[in-house]
Amino acid sequence: MNEQTLVEPAQQDAEETLAGAEMLIEEVSIDGMCGVY
Amino acid sequence: MSTKPGFDLDRPWRLDERVAVRPEPFGALLYHFGTRRLSFLKSQKVLAVVTALDGQPSARAACEHAGVAAEELDLYARALAALAASSMIAQRAVA
Repeated sequence: MNEQTLVEPAQQDAEETLAGAEMLIEEVSIDGMCGVY
Repeated sequence: MSTKPGFDLDRPWRLDERVAVRPEPFGALLYHFGTRRLSFLKSQKVLAVVTALDGQPSARAACEHAGVAAEELDLYARALAALAASSMIAQRAVA
């Protein structure tokens, strides 16, 4: 049986755009890192 | 025009005064002394946009100044929205 994952074009566009924005910036928090003040 | 809700490209923005910018080969590292958050700017162009914010009348103008193409504008608006959400950048008062 062939299984296909169908992705709506609009959903795909949104995911690609979000992935693109994450290529420009990445955010991290240092809270909780022991010894980092 | 489709930009992320909550971020206005036509308003003047600035880097928060509690943010230090450290240029890196990949772009830059931002550190916010108030929130203790780090943001990696992963290209020289996005760094150019962020550093241009203070001297430009709007975020859109800062993007144009940094060489952001029209088809890239939505992507950069989303990146700026994320920086605004983490308080790295803030709106300036209109003069």
